Amino acid sequence: MNAAACLTLAAFYCVVWCKQRENWVHLVFSSSAVAAAAIAAFELAMMHAETVGRYEALVRWIHVPVWVLIVSFVIFVRLYLHAGRPWLAWSICGLRTLVLILNFIFIPNLNFQQITRLHRFSWWGGEVISVPIGVANPWGTLSSLSLLLLLVFFVDATITVWRRGNRRRALFVGGSMIFGAILAWHVPLVIWGVIETPFFLCFAYSGIVAAMGYELSNDMARTVQLARELEASDKRLNLAADSADLGLWEWDIARNQVWITDKGRTLFGFGASEKLDFDCFRSRLHPEDRESVLKAVENSLGTGAEYRSEHRVVLPSGQLRWITGRGHVEFNGKGQPVRMRGASLDITKRKQAEEQAARQRDELAHLSRVSTLGELSGSIAHELSLPLSAILSNAQAAQRVLANGHPDLTELQEILNDIVSEDKHASEVIQRLRQWLKKEEAQQHSLQINEIVEDVLKLIRSDLVDQNITMDTELARHLPDVTGDRVQLQQVLVNLVVNACDAMTNCNASERRLLVRTGIENDSSAVIVSVTDRGSSIPEEKMEQIFEPFFTTKAKGIGLGLSVCHSIIAAHRGKLWATNNADCGATFHFSLPIGIPGAAVPISSNGQLDDHA
Amino acid sequence: MTTPSPTVFVVDDYAPVRRSISRVLRAAGFAVAAFASAEEFLAQYDPRTLGCLVLDLAMPTLNGLELQGILAKAGSVLPIIFLTGTADIPKSVQAMKHGASDFLTKPVNDEDLLAAVRAAIEKNRALRREQVELSEIHARLATLTPREREVLEYVVAGKLNKQIAGDLGTVEQTIKVHRAHVMEKMRVQSVAELVRLTQRCGISAR
Repeated sequence: MNAAACLTLAAFYCVVWCKQRENWVHLVFSSSAVAAAAIAAFELAMMHAETVGRYEALVRWIHVPVWVLIVSFVIFVRLYLHAGRPWLAWSICGLRTLVLILNFIFIPNLNFQQITRLHRFSWWGGEVISVPIGVANPWGTLSSLSLLLLLVFFVDATITVWRRGNRRRALFVGGSMIFGAILAWHVPLVIWGVIETPFFLCFAYSGIVAAMGYELSNDMARTVQLARELEASDKRLNLAADSADLGLWEWDIARNQVWITDKGRTLFGFGASEKLDFDCFRSRLHPEDRESVLKAVENSLGTGAEYRSEHRVVLPSGQLRWITGRGHVEFNGKGQPVRMRGASLDITKRKQAEEQAARQRDELAHLSRVSTLGELSGSIAHELSLPLSAILSNAQAAQRVLANGHPDLTELQEILNDIVSEDKHASEVIQRLRQWLKKEEAQQHSLQINEIVEDVLKLIRSDLVDQNITMDTELARHLPDVTGDRVQLQQVLVNLVVNACDAMTNCNASERRLLVRTGIENDSSAVIVSVTDRGSSIPEEKMEQIFEPFFTTKAKGIGLGLSVCHSIIAAHRGKLWATNNADCGATFHFSLPIGIPGAAVPISSNGQLDDHA
Repeated sequence: MTTPSPTVFVVDDYAPVRRSISRVLRAAGFAVAAFASAEEFLAQYDPRTLGCLVLDLAMPTLNGLELQGILAKAGSVLPIIFLTGTADIPKSVQAMKHGASDFLTKPVNDEDLLAAVRAAIEKNRALRREQVELSEIHARLATLTPREREVLEYVVAGKLNKQIAGDLGTVEQTIKVHRAHVMEKMRVQSVAELVRLTQRCGISAR
């Protein structure tokens, strides 16, 4: 009965192991159960043995299942309980193997030098059983020694498990093992003739097997429950992912297979049953974004960093879709990427909204530019009249020089040189005007902020002269480049300078001074431009308000200038703010991050920008 | 007093314009002295020079209108032709009010510029001539005795010797002698001529 129970358990776990090959504990348990069953069978046969020869043979062969059982126990303790000292484990296995070998060398076996006779007597229930009486083999001590080591090994392992806090497992498995190992000591006692009883190792060991089986089945029950919980959480996750329009995916890198939720299939335009690999996804990427996405994937596979990207995909219908993706890479023990899991989201609407906002901002900036240009028209006309004046007068002077006869060729040469350079000057002014009036998307260029300051000063120089304003500049040298739109940044500066001039209309001529300064932020993260006037200061409660649309203190303004400046600087990922000076007037500052492109143009497709922002 | 050859002063902070205007003027036969700023001009200007000033309106530091003010305060009669990049009406009105000779907008045609310069120089010449005449009249006036001066004021008021004698409490014969001295010292032949001279130097009749 005992054997049958053990065999059933063994068969069951053997099947379990077959299904989960990586879980060796099941195989170890299975083999220990088989061994326990075999021991039970042997012991039953020994009880009913009628001749000494048969008994001797049975004792010799029982060593095989005992070896299997003890080795299985040791492996089980190491694998399942993660306890027991390795040197003890190795000693026990070695000793047991030695015992097994010696057992087949000595005749009749390792336990007895000779069985002299079988004592047959009536046992419980009136059954007649045999008990051996003979001379113990001194080498049998090796077997006893192994039992002793096994007991020590079990006790040590049990203490470890107990201390680790897993008391139930320590009590059940460890306890039953210690109990079994103690019980096994009846074998040497019987052999030495101290007690007279049939061998009942099977009871000692099958107790252990039962405890092990109980623990394993507990584990399995827990596994089943976990599986159920996992399924439920999986469902919840899918539900959440679906309602958030998230497509979840998993890429088995070795097999190059991609599993993806239905939502994800719709996102990338794949059929419901289409078999997918990485190339399927690559083919969907927008050609302009392909390189950056592949680079991001490679980076994640190489460094284990989180994969993030924002890119476009081209659906089979030709439709474009913006997608943001995030993912993690899993590595195996050798550090090779095994799997990549992640989620993708459709951000087309957000992108469209961003693009529309950028378009509107550009349009507003353009309108504001046109209106600023209107205010500056006098200054610009003056700026153009200068070279034109020089050209006309030079040309007429040349006509007169020629008409006078005996022309001085050197003078004529100088006149022509002046005409050429002044014509170029006029073209530059016109070119600047054209840029200002052109209505186009903001561009991204590497710019030197000092050049922008100088451009602006040229544009409004005569306006300043007209208003009797003295302009001072303190431009820091060797400033790093900033990235942005030249015209829009000029626009911001023109607005600030014009505002500063307007603030000084009521000042005495000697106080009309304007200071434009450039410099670098203390932590070298940004370039700063400041425009300082000596006019009226800004009331503290209006410090924030001044950047709002339609806020104005001027009779002629509509109050868009500063708010447009604010949005332009924000689109360049910079900051615009105002402070009052200690003595009089106010200072407007704006900062632009060094080297980081703004959002005024579509974000570069790998989306890394967002992460650093 | 000798008549010096006229010089055109050009003051403009923008070098190419300054050079080109100077070239036109020189080609038309004028002597030209060009300056990059009002201060530079003031430092070198000799008020005795005959000529005119071609002045840029908008300049940093001292601008055209300010220079006009400084010259006026110093009693200069140098005619000023303003040159401006923008037709700024309030400023041109102000300039003309303060006696600008002309107001031209850049770019300026050579004929217009030269016409304005010629007119200004002519004006300067006339002003200088008048200045000379006036100082001569003043010199003649200075030779009169206080009594003769008194009699002069009565004479230009058109009063007869008898009336003057009555007013001054003396005899007609004495007034007659004073009048003869006045006519002689002022170097005039008729009372009408004497009235013209005294009007020019602002002497009012009694």
